[in-house]
Amino acid sequence: MGSIVRRSACMASRYAPSYAARRGFNVSVRDEAAQNFTMPALSPTMTEGNISGWRVKEGDSFSAGDVLLEIETDKATMDVEAQDDGILVKVMQADGSKGVKVGHRIAVTAEAGDDINSLEIPQEDASASAGEPAKKNRPSPQDETEGGIDTTESSPSAAEAPPASRPEADAEAGGASATRPAAQKAEGQGSQGDKAQKQKYPLYPSVEHLLRQNGMSKEDADKIPASGPGGRLLKGDVLAYFGHISKDYPAQASARLSKLSHLDLSNIQLAQPAPKPDAAQPAAKAPELELPKETEVAVPVSLSAVIATQKRVQDSLGIFLPLSTFIARASELANEALPLGKNRKPTADDLFNSVLGLDKVAKTSRGQYVPQVTGLAPMPLAAPTKSAKKPDILDILAPKKALKKTSAVRPGAVGVTTGENVFSVTAKLGEEARAAEYLGRMKMALEQEPGRLVV
Amino acid sequence: MFSRLLPRTAARGALQAQNQTPHIIRATPVTSCLQSRISQRRGFATPTEEKDLVIVGGGVAGYVAAIKAGQEGLKVACIEKRGSLGGTCLNVGCIPSKSLLNNSHLYHQILHDTKNRGIEVGDVKLNLEQMMKAKDTSVSGLTKGIEFLFKKNNVEYIKGTGAFADEHTIAVNLVDGGETSVRGKNIFIATGSESTPFPGLEIDEKKVITSTGAIALKEVPKKMVVIGGGIIGLEMGSVWSRLGSEVTVVEFLGQIGGPGMDAEISKNIQKTLGKQGMKFMLNTKVTQGDDSGETVKLDVEASKGGKAQTLDADVVLVAIGRRPYTAGLGLDNIGLETDNRGRLVIDSEYRTKIPHIRVIGDCTFGPMLAHKAEEEAVAAVEFLTKNYGHVNYNAIPSVMYTHPEVAWVGQNEAELKEAGVKYKVGTFPFSANSRAKTNLDTDGMVKFVADAETDRILGIHIVGPNAGEMIAEGTLALEYGASTEDVGRTSHAHPTLAEAFKEAAMATYGKAIHY
Ligand SMILES: Cc1cc2nc3c(=O)[nH]c(=O)nc-3n(C[C@H](O)[C@H](O)[C@H](O)COP(=O)(O)OP(=O)(O)OC[C@H]3O[C@@H](n4cnc5c(N)ncnc54)[C@H](O)[C@@H]3O)c2cc1C
Repeated sequence: MGSIVRRSACMASRYAPSYAARRGFNVSVRDEAAQNFTMPALSPTMTEGNISGWRVKEGDSFSAGDVLLEIETDKATMDVEAQDDGILVKVMQADGSKGVKVGHRIAVTAEAGDDINSLEIPQEDASASAGEPAKKNRPSPQDETEGGIDTTESSPSAAEAPPASRPEADAEAGGASATRPAAQKAEGQGSQGDKAQKQKYPLYPSVEHLLRQNGMSKEDADKIPASGPGGRLLKGDVLAYFGHISKDYPAQASARLSKLSHLDLSNIQLAQPAPKPDAAQPAAKAPELELPKETEVAVPVSLSAVIATQKRVQDSLGIFLPLSTFIARASELANEALPLGKNRKPTADDLFNSVLGLDKVAKTSRGQYVPQVTGLAPMPLAAPTKSAKKPDILDILAPKKALKKTSAVRPGAVGVTTGENVFSVTAKLGEEARAAEYLGRMKMALEQEPGRLVV
Repeated sequence: MFSRLLPRTAARGALQAQNQTPHIIRATPVTSCLQSRISQRRGFATPTEEKDLVIVGGGVAGYVAAIKAGQEGLKVACIEKRGSLGGTCLNVGCIPSKSLLNNSHLYHQILHDTKNRGIEVGDVKLNLEQMMKAKDTSVSGLTKGIEFLFKKNNVEYIKGTGAFADEHTIAVNLVDGGETSVRGKNIFIATGSESTPFPGLEIDEKKVITSTGAIALKEVPKKMVVIGGGIIGLEMGSVWSRLGSEVTVVEFLGQIGGPGMDAEISKNIQKTLGKQGMKFMLNTKVTQGDDSGETVKLDVEASKGGKAQTLDADVVLVAIGRRPYTAGLGLDNIGLETDNRGRLVIDSEYRTKIPHIRVIGDCTFGPMLAHKAEEEAVAAVEFLTKNYGHVNYNAIPSVMYTHPEVAWVGQNEAELKEAGVKYKVGTFPFSANSRAKTNLDTDGMVKFVADAETDRILGIHIVGPNAGEMIAEGTLALEYGASTEDVGRTSHAHPTLAEAFKEAAMATYGKAIHY
């Protein structure tokens, strides 16, 4: 059997009628092995959906957890998974069907292992077509057990309700099914459904009192349709069962509350894509967001020693080492164990570790500086510059300024001269000395002993 | 040393003056080469190492999700730029505000109340600096605790500002300088919220402050005006009023406490706070502010138009609400949408339109509350690991930690009227509760709102001592679909304040015994 679905293994237990819970008390449905599989409500507000595509073919079997089909609503496209093993006997609403109402039949399924050739295709549920204005026939008790949304405002007639004077008789006759219409409505709207079921937990004090005061026992609780969370039996359910309040009221109330238990995402108004600088500016004003002030620290560096080394290497070994290699290696060395900025307090991590005796609070840390090199006269550099296109992290984080800077770079105008170049880095407030130390080391490495960078 | 310090923007100009045709280059080949080497060396999350889950924001939503994911065995990293975990709540929100509320209440009580109780205290002096230190101790103790939990649950903590480079990659500008990036199969956005600024007033956190300034004032202002009579405004207003400020609350709506607070409860607490010395101007709007002088001047007038008036204050607290914070997150880089109030758009499983990116906490829909953020964090992780998670948004309590406290869960009378639901009400005053009487602390009441037909509890509203703790019982009752009779038939210890809770329930379906 099965055929009942979950939305990604989840929502359906709340929104879709749970067949598993139903079969326990309605034998006739259980014996009839082919079942109608109706459009599930995948959210509290969903009323119809489109079939994007079936993932299982007619005649194929599926197991619990398999994606049966994909349904598209006005909000999202969702997979519907099988909750039990079964066979897809017939697809009633083919791929691409649009606007299929919740509760309308979309397929017929059978239990795993059934011989589908000998099965009869059941009728479309009467209740499922209730969306149509003229409702032809009353739902038969059997049909009623198939969940469908009843969009007409009809409520069960008084004749259907169990007479308050004969609770026992009613319970014997399958009291649950007699109140189905109300339950269907509730299910369609996302309540937990109200079916009579075994009450696994201790009964609520009010429930037990009402039962006893009406001459019933605790066991009778299992016969009363329950509208509470997780199928729990509430005071209101018992009051309705005894006819003190309207039969369908508890389920309606549950449906309303169940709707409240979800975020209302039904009427989202998207922000207009505002002109960007305007949108970003007021936010940047709030003090929490203020970026630390930054200073640019610069130092002139002569690259003549590097270029001499470069030439020596090329002459003797025939290898051309681009300037960028020298700079990169110098930078890596220079970043080693730099003094911490004066604003940098030991982090909680440092403190925590030192509390535990794992670490001393560090005085230095590895830097992450990358120099900007400003040449004095243009001279083509052999190193490829294709990565100029890709914005680096600064551009991403501070698009306003940094992006402009990037676009100011003329392709190919990579100017590093033999003479003085200015190396600069951006230092956060309090980290000027750290940055200066880095640049001093760069200068030292590149001017004094560039050969050691490449051996 | 040849280094010079140049302000960033001046640098170019200075260089230009010296040199005729400078060329500014970004040593890009160097960058990329360095990046990869460094990341290998430091054992960082290199772009090749992919986490199961990367969380941007280490507030309540982010850190709870990180710990939960760690417990479920996911490889998880959490990025936080503040320098400490816990977000708004632990650093500048719930925790520091409650520390000040508790201690200012003690001070106020010693000053005005203990004498009646037979405790005479000599010279009572306020040491504000010490009170702030006590607050900081609570905060740092808690935030470090979270770091410890990260370690315990194998959560990698990345201190820096995260921004989307692409749908799976977060570029991080590290707090300690430098940068890295981290890839995630799944990404949670939990960047929280910030105070909504008041147009026309520049926040300096000294004269014109948000709640962040209000938990760190250096001295007690003589006159304080609070713009906005919501929970945060009333809590911070209470603190400074108790410490000696003359506090006036200006509220646009006709009631304090925000629209969620039941009108009857709101009136009740307003009366009590008024007795404590706070002044209220309801149905009043601030039209204009001037912070150029020594004090701040605010022009106010009746909301529906009326005579104008100018208020003068040493400190103005802007508490008109909070708004989602997603600045600098690079949402544009991946095309994520927000709604017209800045909330990131999600579906019922917290997914954005890029399904492996989810959003939880203050930066998306729902009430901006720490425990709501926490519930969502757990649910969102469960969607990853167990395919199903759930938060019952109808059973999320709200608490205002004034004295007496105000707490509620579920719907209030106005909301039920609007929904057309027939309901009945039962109340019980603390003045009839034995414990409240014993404690000489009898302001307030408990109020139940239940379905007129089924008796199912629809809302519980409490103003009174310990309301914030008491609401837990109400939330449980609501979660279980209980009726007032179920509560009324459950034994509550005597003498406790909770008996008032039980009696209010009895008053709803029948009659209270002691009233
Ligand atoms: C004064 C005050 C009192 C409050 N009192 C209460 C109370 O009593 N009870 C209650 O329930 N709630 C209270 N709140 C609300 C509560 O603080 C929030 O609901 C809660 O903090 C939300 O958690 P969050 O994780 O969504 O966001 P936040 O706590 O705001 O955390 C978001 C974190 O993300 C970080 N971040 C943002 N962008 C980035 C980025 N790009 N990269 C890295 N990190 C980033 C931020 O630094 C921040 O730490 C109070 C709030 C205030 C202001």
